Amino acid sequence: MGNFLRLALRQMDVQLRMRVLSLWSLGLFFTQPAIFSAVGMLLAHAAGNANPDLIYTVIGGGIMGMWSGLVFTSTFDIRADRREGTLELIVGSPTPLRRVVGFRSLLNILAGSTSMLAAVTAAVLIFDYSFAGINVPAVILSFALLLFGLWCMGIFLANLLAWSRLSGTFVDLLEMPIALLCGFMYPISVLPSWMQYISVVFPIRWSLQAMREAMRGTAANAELLSLWGISLGISLVFYLFSHWLDVKVHDHIRVTGELHSI
Amino acid sequence: MPDQKAISTNQMQKTFKTRQGFWRRTTRVTEAVRDVTFEVNKGELFGLLGPNGAGKTTSVKMLSTLLLPTSGTITILGLDILRDTTEVRKRIGFTFGGARGLYGRLTAVENLRYFAELYAMEPALTRKRIPELLELVNLLDRGNDKVETYSSGMQQRLHLARALLHDPELIFLDEPTVGIDPVGARELRATIKELKARGKTILLTTHYMAEADELCDRIAIINKGRIIAMDTPAGMKSGMTSESVINLRTSNENLTALKAILSPIDGKATILCKENTVQSEVSIRTAHPSRVIEVISPWLNTDLIQTMEMRSQTLEDVYVAIIQNEEANG
Repeated sequence: MGNFLRLALRQMDVQLRMRVLSLWSLGLFFTQPAIFSAVGMLLAHAAGNANPDLIYTVIGGGIMGMWSGLVFTSTFDIRADRREGTLELIVGSPTPLRRVVGFRSLLNILAGSTSMLAAVTAAVLIFDYSFAGINVPAVILSFALLLFGLWCMGIFLANLLAWSRLSGTFVDLLEMPIALLCGFMYPISVLPSWMQYISVVFPIRWSLQAMREAMRGTAANAELLSLWGISLGISLVFYLFSHWLDVKVHDHIRVTGELHSI
Repeated sequence: MPDQKAISTNQMQKTFKTRQGFWRRTTRVTEAVRDVTFEVNKGELFGLLGPNGAGKTTSVKMLSTLLLPTSGTITILGLDILRDTTEVRKRIGFTFGGARGLYGRLTAVENLRYFAELYAMEPALTRKRIPELLELVNLLDRGNDKVETYSSGMQQRLHLARALLHDPELIFLDEPTVGIDPVGARELRATIKELKARGKTILLTTHYMAEADELCDRIAIINKGRIIAMDTPAGMKSGMTSESVINLRTSNENLTALKAILSPIDGKATILCKENTVQSEVSIRTAHPSRVIEVISPWLNTDLIQTMEMRSQTLEDVYVAIIQNEEANG
């Protein structure tokens, strides 16, 4: 257990200093979400909505920051390690790659949650967002499930990147479509029904919906329970698929010799 | 009786398949390593020599579990690399040439701490090992500097310290002195000798024949994925033949005339001519040096032969001869 915790702390420490504490990442976590939030507010006002729903506009921007940060840091990690020649040193050590990827993704998620925190703070301080009616325990649980869903998606994407350097382009292209499909900045009900069908496979769609309902305090417990259950279930599917992919990746990269390729 | 073999390979083979083309996909098959069989004893320093693309690094990567062999078997310290991968990884260390493989924005100590965690080392042992190793590779006074400020030689030595962190029994050093200045390379060779003296088994790949001659107990020459010679450096030099090497220098204008003078010994010697900017070099490898001297002696101290040097064969001569024979025979 001691070894496990030390490994976790060391991975997260190095991840923080090598990848997260950079202008690029800080831009992803704070600047980009601020721009999204500002655009969201402007569009709402332009559409004649004098009191836009801050959960979608401002806080939605924070969720965008978490998501973009996760996609780019988790996938950038593997690319950077491959480029720096450290990927083969990690794979050649007794520690499984999945453990390294898991701890790094966790740090990425935690770092990304500062984006959400900043967005909520901005909503309260700048736009007088009120927490009236909020179901605090439900919000906390929904947020935890949101983080878990993001983590499962993060390790899945990182494994995909380890599988093949070509998958990097594919993963980059996923950032905006998933943000749009999961309704980070607007109710998912405004999407065409076929798009709503696609978005059901992403756990963060369900945990986000639960979090919004809990922030408003409007949802019944049964509804929240079903949203949490779906989110957790899909997250676990992502996790199991990542685990399966990890084994495949370990063999695949040792067959193709892609460990050291740029 | 415990297994005295540190490495044992049997018909080790690696084939890479690469797909090319967008519309009309073709698969290109490259046989990087072909039927390589050899053994390395515990405590031995074994050299793997060969030209670029010969299969040295691919072989080392298979031996260090980073690549899976397409066929054949590999046993490391009595363990099968496919079945006991994790156990093998705990007991080996490896470095690959070049500056990659370190986190530049971290210090040497932080890099070593990071890799120590990957090997699940106890904190007390890590604290003890890091200064010891930094001292061994002569980096103790720069341990708290960021690695991105290091020279290539310092990075290479840090690679070695990293590979030794968990005190592995078997160390793979892939071109450890590549890109290092002569002083740095000498220091690194001294460190490698010290490791051997401590009983470590080392597999070294290098382009530098003098380095292999100085360090290795045995060497294998690999070309086009196959081992084409294997012996001790001394055995390889004497076993090749008892040939001598005579080097002549002449001006570029006189090269054709000198070649004509040497024509009587054609067939009794291997003659290599190299035309440089000002001078040309003629290298004659022969088992009959007296015959060659007899032919060239009238021309000594003339413009035709500016300098002459005669020496016994070096490992480099043997290596070049073996590779050339291999190329000539297809």
